[in-house]
Amino acid sequence: MLAETTSVLSPLVILVLCVVAGVGTVLLLPSRREASLRKVGGCVLLATGLILAALLFRLTAGSPQGGMGPYFWIFSAIAIIGAIRVVTHPKPVYSALYFVLTVFASAGLFLLLWAEFMAVALVLIYAGAILVTYVFVIMLAAEAAQPGTGARNLTEHDRLSRDPVIAAAVGFALMGVMLFVIFDKANEIKTNPVEIQQTIVSGATQELGVFLFQKHLVNVELAGLILTVSMIGAIVIARRRVIGEAGSSSPDMLIAPATPVDDNPHSIPVVGTRNPRQKEYPET
Amino acid sequence: MTQLALQHYLAVGTIMFAIGLIGFMCRRNLIVMFLCTELMFQGVAINLIAFGKYHGNLSGQAFVIFVLVIAAAEASLALGLVVLLFRQKATLDADAWRELRG
Amino acid sequence: MDQLFPVQYSILIPLAPLLGAIIAGFFGAKWIKGQSHWPIWLGVGFSALLSICLMSEMLTRWHGGETLTAVKNYFTWIQAGKFVVQWGYFFDPLTAVMLCVVCGIGFFITVFAAGYMKGEAGYFRFFAYLGLFIFMMTNLVMGENLIMLYLGWEGVGLSSYLLIGYYYDKPSAREAAKKAFLVNRVGDFGFGLGIMLSFLTFGTISYFGHGVGSHSGLLELAAMPLDQLAKLPGVNVAWVPTAMKWIPFLLMVGAFGKSAQFPLYVWLPDAMEGPTPVSALIHAATMVTAGVYMIARCGTLFVGNAGAMMTIACVGAFTAVFAATIALRQFDLKKVFAYSTISQLGFMFVGVGVLAPVAGVFHLITHAFFKALLFLGSGVVMHAMSGELDMRKMSGLKKVLPKTHILMLIGCAALAGFPFTAGFLSKDQIVGAAWQHSKLLGSVMLFAALMTAYYTFRLYFRVFLGPLVVPPPPDGGHGHGHDDHGHGGSLHGAEDAEGAKAAEHEHHHNHEPAIMILPLIVLAIGALVAGYLNFPERDNSLAGFLGKSPSFALAYEVAEKAGSVVSPMPFGQLEAAKREEETNRDTVADEKHTELMLMWASSGISILGIYLAFVMHLKNRRRGEELPNKMPQLARLLEGKYWIDEIYQDAIVEPLRALGRVFFAIDRYVVDGIVWLISFIPQASGWALKLSTQRGYLQGYAATMLFGIAVILLIIFL
Repeated sequence: MLAETTSVLSPLVILVLCVVAGVGTVLLLPSRREASLRKVGGCVLLATGLILAALLFRLTAGSPQGGMGPYFWIFSAIAIIGAIRVVTHPKPVYSALYFVLTVFASAGLFLLLWAEFMAVALVLIYAGAILVTYVFVIMLAAEAAQPGTGARNLTEHDRLSRDPVIAAAVGFALMGVMLFVIFDKANEIKTNPVEIQQTIVSGATQELGVFLFQKHLVNVELAGLILTVSMIGAIVIARRRVIGEAGSSSPDMLIAPATPVDDNPHSIPVVGTRNPRQKEYPET
Repeated sequence: MTQLALQHYLAVGTIMFAIGLIGFMCRRNLIVMFLCTELMFQGVAINLIAFGKYHGNLSGQAFVIFVLVIAAAEASLALGLVVLLFRQKATLDADAWRELRG
Repeated sequence: MDQLFPVQYSILIPLAPLLGAIIAGFFGAKWIKGQSHWPIWLGVGFSALLSICLMSEMLTRWHGGETLTAVKNYFTWIQAGKFVVQWGYFFDPLTAVMLCVVCGIGFFITVFAAGYMKGEAGYFRFFAYLGLFIFMMTNLVMGENLIMLYLGWEGVGLSSYLLIGYYYDKPSAREAAKKAFLVNRVGDFGFGLGIMLSFLTFGTISYFGHGVGSHSGLLELAAMPLDQLAKLPGVNVAWVPTAMKWIPFLLMVGAFGKSAQFPLYVWLPDAMEGPTPVSALIHAATMVTAGVYMIARCGTLFVGNAGAMMTIACVGAFTAVFAATIALRQFDLKKVFAYSTISQLGFMFVGVGVLAPVAGVFHLITHAFFKALLFLGSGVVMHAMSGELDMRKMSGLKKVLPKTHILMLIGCAALAGFPFTAGFLSKDQIVGAAWQHSKLLGSVMLFAALMTAYYTFRLYFRVFLGPLVVPPPPDGGHGHGHDDHGHGGSLHGAEDAEGAKAAEHEHHHNHEPAIMILPLIVLAIGALVAGYLNFPERDNSLAGFLGKSPSFALAYEVAEKAGSVVSPMPFGQLEAAKREEETNRDTVADEKHTELMLMWASSGISILGIYLAFVMHLKNRRRGEELPNKMPQLARLLEGKYWIDEIYQDAIVEPLRALGRVFFAIDRYVVDGIVWLISFIPQASGWALKLSTQRGYLQGYAATMLFGIAVILLIIFL
């Protein structure tokens, strides 16, 4: 049986945890502080997470199935630590890689929830498609950008955060409110509708497909339309020469300058850029 | 693993959402900011799946599919815009565009 | 009476001049040009014809002993709750008489104006304004209710403004036009209040409602006793006694403004800046008599209030003497006649004030003839003298303007009250009525008549008799806009070249063109014989005719009930007069005797005034010139017109201007300051927010938004 939640995860506890986690996050966020301070912040955050986990574990320890099982804790820990690293790592590439880690951990959580199709789709779409694009752009930018001045060759906007205290305060305020809502205000959702749960244990992917195309056909089509539109939009946006640079009045100036032969780092070859070796095609 | 404690999953999703939020608010690199929004999408997706499981239907999963669609569309457009902005100012710093404040 | 064709087509009386005005106004500038007088001639002539038809039909009915009233409503003009205004016309003898005066004299003046204004820039404009004036004036006299009267009242004010400012490139003309308009506003304010109070009290502003005897009109309601009024719906009986005390005074203010009585007369002398035909038509014959007409028309509202009648009579008498004294020392022909007009209007007010409205209207008619004649005559003089009107600079014009001289002599004799001219007969009736009312008032009027005779013949003897003197040509060609009229150099050039005698013979014909002389002849005949309309007062005289007007009959009833000393004859109530004659023969015989004596007295006074003028301004002019030196202060006072304009300027205009400045400052600094302060608060907070929060940091906006979400969540779930 579930223990009395109010005694385990009272608003006060949530408040304290959020404040401590906030302090830790502030310390961990990229700034001009020494590396040791950031390590301290990391430790604080880790400790807070562990305390929360322990509290949650205690919350369900009394239940017959022995709580959530180890996989939940492992995947959750990886996902959250990965997320924190995404936010706090000063290098965008590492952020992206930690995001992949988070995606994998989330996929694990999805599996625990009997959503194996979603887990696979998540890995394919996020880790496979979206993240590759991110990393591609990050690499482009890192190559083209002027070299940073600080340690580890980072640019200033990567090394320094904007208003970490306010951000952490607002973020953890929201998190505290939501956790408070989840644990303190929503007691009635604790009874599990086990019977319904049994009906979808197997063949979930097939059922999902049937469900999607029976109940959400229009939505699926609309989703496809959105993807098409965004694809076209992305092409148009990236291809169009930015208006505003001097003397862009002639039609061929609508195209980006040719691939730099003079090693000018500011001009990036993107789609639509005229390449000397590329065959010319009619412009708008 | 037959027992579902909804609150645990909701807590994980919430924490991921909040972390993404914090990152969006304090990171200045445009690409990292978008990564943080993807994190927030992740948190929401975990919540949706957990609720779907809890209610024993597939609506949650279906909506996660739509979330993924939106995320993909957003990523493609946003990265296109980022490239555009980068070509203008040769930096990924969001603060470089403060002049748009009006 | 309703079926008469002039009544059926009565809308044409105002419409014809309006149509003429529209044609002249819109097509005159490009197409009609020098022929712009034709539409107005035709329009006004048509109206005059219709008026005369109406008059003759009415006279026929009168002799047949039928009723002489008719109401013709065309459409509902204004409807706002209980306030209903019909665009309708009311016909009775008073209307007919006024229409004949307005349209008849108006027609002759427009004929004269075509000769006088020939070659003026804006010729079409002048005639369009004249047509507009006749339209408004006919509406004024024909209107079925006080609002129609008010429409005409304001409309003639507008026309007057436009015509005074006809030479708008002259600053003095512009100022005079503005002055006339503003001074009239003072009067019209009172008039408007009077109309409102009448409506609030009686629930209607129609004179006679659905018809005479239906007891649905204002004038009949005012004549009814209170206990009968209480039974009628829409009448605010509780207000009636108080309202009847105030309405006459309010309406009176309007009449004083329009008819240039004492406190509000100042605009009329300045209005002489307009072309002379305008002075004749508007500022002597028709518009300025609107006040007299209004008091005669609304007599029932006035006569019950002895205080109001006394006020009217006193103001009239004072104005008559006051303006006459100013006229004694004026040298400008038109100014003399302007003050004379004010003085004569004072006579009319005395007439209506001493419960003799027939005498007032009678004098109105005769005055319209002889004063129009005098103004037009001085117009001819001005025309010939290249715009010069200073009587010190001219003399003996008889030799150059023989026809005008005779016509002016007739006009002056009528104005001076020379025995058996029109002016004598009408003035005598007023003086007689005043004498019966109060001996003092009668004496004052006789004194005013003496001065009138003196200043009129002073002018005549100075200008037309004696050695010939013509003014030197003024600088810059002809004054009063006569820059380019036909016979350019006029008298002077010819004189210089060929010698005076030959020039006179050759040219004086040109100075008195037929188009200008013929209307004068008609007016002169009127000035001689118009007096016999009401002399002797018989059954078929003007008095008996006007007595058939319900306004007069009801006014007599009210006056009798109010217990005033009232005789029926001045109200045209002949039957009542006969009855009175039979009952107390002695008193009436006494009155007749007094009247006869007064007639002798006023004849003597008129001749005395003429003799004085003869002695001082023809026989021995030096005496006339030395007279002011004996009383320099008085002369200066009169020449300065009692400095009334200056007093108004310092006592009213300047304080008002100072007050206006104070209000302006309050508006600018206090009201605007408060508004500015109120607007400054959001402006300042927006400015502060812009500096503090709108910094362009994307994340800052996101943080703000999320903070809001957190707060909302807390509010929902706590």
